[in-house]
Amino acid sequence: MTKPKVASDWLAGCAGCHMSFLDMDERIIELTKLVDLRATPITDLKEPDEEGVDVGILEGGISNTYNEEVAIRMRERCKILVALGDCAVFGGVPAMRNFPGAEAALQRAYIETESTDETGMIPNDPELAASVHVRPVSDIVKVDIFLPGCAPSADAIFYVLSELAQGRMPTVDGEYNNWH
Amino acid sequence: MVQLTVNGQTVEVESGSTILDAVRKAGFNVPTLCYHPKLVSYGSCRLCLVEVEGARTLQPSCVVPANNGMVVHTDTAKTKSARKFILSMIFSERNHFCMYCQDTDGDCDLQQAAYDEGMTHWPITPAYKPFMVDASHPDFVLDNNRCILCRRCVRACSELVGNATLGFEERGSSSILIADNNVPLGESTCISCGNCVQFCPTGAFIDRRSAYQGRETDLTHVNSICMDCSLGCERVVKTRDNRLVRIDGNLDAGFNESLLCYDGRYKPMAEDRKRVLAPQIRRNGQLESVSWDEALNAISAQFKAHASSEISAHISPRQPIEALSAFHQFFADEFKSSQVTLLGHDQTAAASVRLAAELGAFESDISAMKDCDAAIILGTDMVKDHQVAGFFIKRQAMHDLKMFIANSTHTHVGDWSSDKLEYVGTDYASVVDLLRAYANGDSAGVDASLKSLGLKSDRAEQVLGELKACQKPVFVVGKEFAKVENLSAYRNLVLLAREIGAKVVALKGKGNNFAGAILGYELDAQPKSTPVFYLALGDGHACDHTKDALAGSEFKIVQSSYESDFTEMADVVLPCTIWNEQAGHYLSSEGKLGLNQQAIHAAETQRSVLDVLKVLANKSGLNLSDSWRAALEEKVGTIVLS
Repeated sequence: MTKPKVASDWLAGCAGCHMSFLDMDERIIELTKLVDLRATPITDLKEPDEEGVDVGILEGGISNTYNEEVAIRMRERCKILVALGDCAVFGGVPAMRNFPGAEAALQRAYIETESTDETGMIPNDPELAASVHVRPVSDIVKVDIFLPGCAPSADAIFYVLSELAQGRMPTVDGEYNNWH
Repeated sequence: MVQLTVNGQTVEVESGSTILDAVRKAGFNVPTLCYHPKLVSYGSCRLCLVEVEGARTLQPSCVVPANNGMVVHTDTAKTKSARKFILSMIFSERNHFCMYCQDTDGDCDLQQAAYDEGMTHWPITPAYKPFMVDASHPDFVLDNNRCILCRRCVRACSELVGNATLGFEERGSSSILIADNNVPLGESTCISCGNCVQFCPTGAFIDRRSAYQGRETDLTHVNSICMDCSLGCERVVKTRDNRLVRIDGNLDAGFNESLLCYDGRYKPMAEDRKRVLAPQIRRNGQLESVSWDEALNAISAQFKAHASSEISAHISPRQPIEALSAFHQFFADEFKSSQVTLLGHDQTAAASVRLAAELGAFESDISAMKDCDAAIILGTDMVKDHQVAGFFIKRQAMHDLKMFIANSTHTHVGDWSSDKLEYVGTDYASVVDLLRAYANGDSAGVDASLKSLGLKSDRAEQVLGELKACQKPVFVVGKEFAKVENLSAYRNLVLLAREIGAKVVALKGKGNNFAGAILGYELDAQPKSTPVFYLALGDGHACDHTKDALAGSEFKIVQSSYESDFTEMADVVLPCTIWNEQAGHYLSSEGKLGLNQQAIHAAETQRSVLDVLKVLANKSGLNLSDSWRAALEEKVGTIVLS
């Protein structure tokens, strides 16, 4: 039996969910016996295989046009998509900027902070992705499994991945369903 | 009784019960948000919807009465999908992001309801519409972005506290919670009782001091009572790592229905006086830190060097009965000190003891105020003192309450009443004469009393004209009226109450005032300067008169938790534990014994008044008895009607 392929990526998040993934410690060795870990932001391979993976994992919300591209690409290349953590599931901390609006948030961050002098300016390089209204991943693409948490515990991540590795759809419930 | 079926199980409930009552009695549960057992059901959140066979739509179980033969189902595909939809709508309306809320993991009813429905995400994207945040109040912040419009705070503020500060402006999803006519909370008519904070099911009210200090499950809960005034409200003291985090009303016990006032909830949290850390003795004009042995030996030497008539002792009513009893035995019974007083100069309890000795038990319990139809309030401002009892009167006044208030200053306790007569002054003898004249139908007497009190006869007629016809009149008396010097007016009032079937409630000062009066403390005397002056202040305060008496004394012993003008002029300072660092009993105004449990461990150098008295008694070769309970309870039985 071939091992299921798993790829992950991060969007507008803090990388904390991936840290929590690493927090499963030695169980990660057990997990690699069950799954073929492919592209992740913390390994050499950065993009999910073109021929596709079985499980795609996305951390972080959608905050700009680049996030949109990455989310759509992951959806196209995976069979089961997991939204990992509160930002991917709800929009999370980056979504706080939706209340004042992206423009006001950038103004505050780059022009008005107490440590900014008169040369402060909002970055406007044409290569930069354009900011959008921050949304959960499920607003852009279909999500199959929601694993909320800030961050979800290593136990919860291990549970979801080991269930998937063994061909079962995990039910996120009880102690694993924690919105913090 | 009404019989119905819930999930196939037959259950019988009192008629007038709701479907929710029946569901819970049958051992099932439906989630609720706007429902609260202490409030009138409101039915706004719709989370408690159930299926009733034969009904066209799902029914809100918290407001629909249970009827004979109803067949109710709580967990059907239809109810589950309705609940999930309702929660999805609530989550989409405002900022309900849990990860940056202070009210989380078991503390938030909204989050718990989502968990219970197995929700892992929000099917509807939030609107991200910002709402007003009001951070003008010193004790809590109101964040409308976290509000689910359940109005539990509004109902607690009106129905229970009788203050009606909180209300709503705008309609539908634009509704915002405001104070008065939309003024900042900190400048509103809010009395800072914090009951809204306790009743809020989400994080819309942020308690400034306990926010982000840990979840409920991280805190140690100690059931205790309040000793600020003498009502003895039941409260829960919540601590973490030997630190006071929050004080809440106890939902499950006490006459106070989980209500607390500012003094019970926030005053202890706002305490900022500097603690006395070590025993001190004055040497060459300066206070120097010494060992406990040195300090206590110095006191013992003074006791030996002076005749008992040269020693006076004064103690705060905030001390537990155990300490008051030992203190009285030590200084009054054994030492025969010239003066042994309870601080505060509130004679209400002393007047009760004297009057009951003459007339027999005459007082009723505080709950008599909850359903009274006439309130005659003499000599107390229930907005300032005994506030929770004031809540009972204020909320009654919103409905139908005849009120006659006599006090030396204007009080707001009757602001809601449309049937109110107020006398501002101290001629209580004429006040009682007026009541007597009305009861006797003596119009000449009425006219004479009205004239001497300067009251208008039409208003008096409206309020007091049918006093005898009232079903549940209550006479509430307090410190200005219930004085030993006013005993004859007080006696006349009690006799009148007996005649017309009115209940008498006496509000007895601070803390253990009632126990102090029974133990034999002088409550009607001001402290006088003596060669040796022992002041057991604990965590309490004392008045300027006591300060003058201390200043005029030669050897000043001050036992205090906090540094103050008193400790500054002392010859010996003994560092004392505070209320939550010591356990002990308190006798409430209505004669109920309550236990204040220890919630915090004091520093090693801080000792309770009782512990110090035991050591001093030992040094003087005295034995202090700790059997105060039986005599006290017997005495209470002769004052308060059972």
